Amino acid sequence: MNYPFGTGRARAAPYALLAPGILLYVLLALGPSLATAVYSFTDATGLPNSPIRWIGLENYREFLTLGAASKENLDALIRTFVFSLAVTVVQFTLGLLVAVLLNQKLRGTKFFRTLFFLPVILGVTIQGLMWTLFLYPLGGPLASFLGLFGLHSDMLGGQPAEAFAWVIVVQIWSNLGMTMVIFLAGLATIPSEVYEAARIDGANRWQVFREVTWPLLTPSVNTNLVLTIIGSLQAWQLFLVLTGYRAGTQVMGYLVYATAFGQTSGTTAGNTFRQGYGAAASIVLFVVVLAIGLTTQYLLRRREARLLE
Amino acid sequence: MRKLIVIFVVALMVAACGGGATASPSTSAGAQPSDGGGASTAPSLSGTVRVLIHQNPPFVDFMGTFNEKFKAKYPGVTVDMAVVNANDLGTSTQTRLTANDVDVIDIFSFSNAVQPYMKNVNPPGWQSLIEAGLLLDLTDQPFVKNYDPAAIADAGSFNGKVYEINLGRVGFSGIYYNKDLFTANNVKVPTTWSELVAACAAVTTAGVPCMTAGGKDGWPIFVGAYGLFGAAYPDQAALAEGLWTGSVKYTDPGFVELLKKAQIYGRDMMESGASGLAGDAAPGRFASGAVAMFPGGTWYGAAIETLKPTFQWGYIPFPGSDNAADNKYMFGKYDQGWAIAANTPNKDAALAYLAEFSDPANYQAFVTAVGVIPTQPGAKLETAIGAELAPYLANFRLGFELVWNAPKGAGQFASPMQNNMFKPFGTFEDPQAAAAQAQADLQSGLDALK
Amino acid sequence: MSTTMTPNAHSSGGPGAGVAVRRRRMDPGRMTAYAFLVILAIIYIAPMAMLVLTSLKTLPEFTKNAVSLPTSFAFDNFVEAWNKANFPRYLLNTVIYTVSSAVIFVVTGTFLSVAIARRFVRGGGVVFTLFLIALFLPPALIPQFQLILRLGLYNNPIGYILLFLVNPIGIVILVNYIRTIPVELDEAAAIEGCGYLRYVLQIVLPLAKPAIATVAVLHAIGVWNELVLATIYLTKSDYYPITRGLIVFNGVYGNNWPVLAAAVLMIAAPMAVFFVFMQRYIIGGVTAGAVKG
Repeated sequence: MNYPFGTGRARAAPYALLAPGILLYVLLALGPSLATAVYSFTDATGLPNSPIRWIGLENYREFLTLGAASKENLDALIRTFVFSLAVTVVQFTLGLLVAVLLNQKLRGTKFFRTLFFLPVILGVTIQGLMWTLFLYPLGGPLASFLGLFGLHSDMLGGQPAEAFAWVIVVQIWSNLGMTMVIFLAGLATIPSEVYEAARIDGANRWQVFREVTWPLLTPSVNTNLVLTIIGSLQAWQLFLVLTGYRAGTQVMGYLVYATAFGQTSGTTAGNTFRQGYGAAASIVLFVVVLAIGLTTQYLLRRREARLLE
Repeated sequence: MRKLIVIFVVALMVAACGGGATASPSTSAGAQPSDGGGASTAPSLSGTVRVLIHQNPPFVDFMGTFNEKFKAKYPGVTVDMAVVNANDLGTSTQTRLTANDVDVIDIFSFSNAVQPYMKNVNPPGWQSLIEAGLLLDLTDQPFVKNYDPAAIADAGSFNGKVYEINLGRVGFSGIYYNKDLFTANNVKVPTTWSELVAACAAVTTAGVPCMTAGGKDGWPIFVGAYGLFGAAYPDQAALAEGLWTGSVKYTDPGFVELLKKAQIYGRDMMESGASGLAGDAAPGRFASGAVAMFPGGTWYGAAIETLKPTFQWGYIPFPGSDNAADNKYMFGKYDQGWAIAANTPNKDAALAYLAEFSDPANYQAFVTAVGVIPTQPGAKLETAIGAELAPYLANFRLGFELVWNAPKGAGQFASPMQNNMFKPFGTFEDPQAAAAQAQADLQSGLDALK
Repeated sequence: MSTTMTPNAHSSGGPGAGVAVRRRRMDPGRMTAYAFLVILAIIYIAPMAMLVLTSLKTLPEFTKNAVSLPTSFAFDNFVEAWNKANFPRYLLNTVIYTVSSAVIFVVTGTFLSVAIARRFVRGGGVVFTLFLIALFLPPALIPQFQLILRLGLYNNPIGYILLFLVNPIGIVILVNYIRTIPVELDEAAAIEGCGYLRYVLQIVLPLAKPAIATVAVLHAIGVWNELVLATIYLTKSDYYPITRGLIVFNGVYGNNWPVLAAAVLMIAAPMAVFFVFMQRYIIGGVTAGAVKG
């Protein structure tokens, strides 16, 4: 692209200024992740002075094909897809809806905006704590409310499907604000003249949205889709706080964490150091996320290009 | 671009080389041979002792007091104590030992060692630490003799050397029960399974839920009915070996019987909503009088006492069998202990710290504060839970949890912890089906060995 | 890309802005909108209200009935949380970590994003993809730890801050936003004799305020609430952030919810205030300085 700020030495300015960012990235993100990839082919324990042997694909074989444990790993993978799909669809739609509504000058916009974004500010641990408190089955608020109708539910302690559903709800609740904020920022870039022009042309509200707002929102749409999909594929901290390590509820992110820190038995006994194996698990997750993420990005770019024609 | 590649490669090398590196230069700095391995009584020690412990309020409070005492005796030494969640203890131990950033560590007992009949299992964390040379050999330290040799051998040794002094045992196959409620309803203290079922029925008719436990955390349900396993298989090490060699199967009629009882326990005895209760909330429920019984470990004793229940309570073994004689055991484990980092720059002070802790007076104070079964012969657990436990101490047995390792590839139900397979905690409704699944899960790992 | 649109004017809202007369008459569309927002708001307020309610109760009150209203307003919980968790010191630490990392990241990130969005750098697309991939990267806890250790920055605030300087989400947001800034602006600025550096700092930065504010807030939240990394990397108690202070209430989740709730509220409060303050920048649209026509 055209660089209007000079030639020769001046041309180097962007390179020089972006160098620190790249350096940090390579040092702190890419480097360690490549190291993880390398470790995944070894039997490293993560402790110094332990001998490290190259074992090739052995870790992967164990994770993906060895016995009933590997079937559970694959189940976790499927569950991760389900989780991501559910969360993305609902969070994206609701977030867009709320942003559009709040973009009109209704009264109390600022209040709603702050309210819906508040959970994002609190962070995962607090979100989990709040809902653990709220969903307390023995006399907690929701339990009491249901009790008024004679209903009872164990909620997070109930059957795996129910607990899983609740985690989906909390995940959406917690991150809706972020989706909303990104859409709001995107909506703010659309000048009001454009809407007025469309309305003068006789378009109704839905047509305005479809023909004007939606295409112009493409950057925010892309950002939100990528973030939500990837975030939900990797999510695990909420599971840690809300359900703990429970059969039938694991998702890949949690599995990776638990494997790396030897917490797959649910008790404090049995802490093992298996950095190599944990690394393999995390690479598996990475490959999955990469595949889905890059595909999403590719599809979105193609759509963007088509829109510009 | 080339510069980027160079940086990239350097970063990669630096990051990748971490694993095989030797730890930072070793310890001989500052290790004056303390002759005869001694608590150098002269308070000429200096420097800092960095201590890492896990969160447990009575323990943390006790350590505060102990640290004051230690500093008074050795004014030249600073104690820098850090507290982490029990779940994070393993990770913190690993990172801090690697960074040589800790001197005295709180570590759980050495358990789950690889037994001779086990193949294809991962060595437990503590073994990796020892093999990496990160724990100090304590074999010849005088303070080790303060402890029960069996405790040292069972919970703190490896290959004939001592690496940990274990501070106490806990029992976990018992039930806390509300004495007053029982008396008021004319309920007999159960010594057999049928009596337990009857007792539950009686209190439920009187309008009080029978039991509670921290169902949300999973393991409290399993631990609560340890007595079921224990009554059927009093030699837990043999149970573990039997499962490995195939002489014991989950589908054996005896085991299925056990699972049937486990189902009754989870479905009928536990109060509804227990599956959503967090582990730490359960003692509170019991202490408030909301339920008649609370199966759990002796470590809850201190918590219950702090909550000052308005009623008399007791602790009995969980009667898993209809033969009272089978129910006399108390199953438990060795709990926490101390170890020292092999590369500590301040070995003398660290050793003095442990020596001071092992002093019978200090140790007794610890036992009283935290409520463990002592591992020093002279100490006594004289709190309420201690009194309740006393009759069963002679029949203390280690739970299989401490010897068990599942083979790699085994499914999630392969370990003998199937109490929480049944609804409402799990998804199973048929003990036979649960047994079959458990056996399949275990078999899958065993088959992979061939 | 919206490069053919008229330059962004000062826009205070979408359709409906400027038509002030409608206020009294509520059309059904608006009513449904309100109804929906109110219901959603209730779903949002409920758990938070529960937290606040709990923090004002005493423990016996809470154990007896979790949902009753507190009989007195037990501010003791807050005092206890403040004292026990050594708040002032740890709060200061957290503020330092958060502000430093946010500032450094915004600066390096902006330069990265401008260069990528405008393709001023060869291979910018590759770099962007690399950052995208960084979003997917597995947590490399142990290698990162070994790296920081070897750099000598273990148990060191600088090392800790370093961990937070790579934030792919921020880059993605910034790049997508900067792409909406018209290219004509660059040329206009260059014609007026603006160098690249000045251009970014004095023109792009103000224009990208909504995105930068968003990124800064998100980044700050991540650093503010971090517990695991703080536990691993900062073992000297002088360096603890306030999340480490929460540990004193851990393990008593079931036992002392009121004090825990109070502690949680105290930790969350500054961030909430910060966000409210930043709101003006995040959603305000673009302010003056834009090129006309």
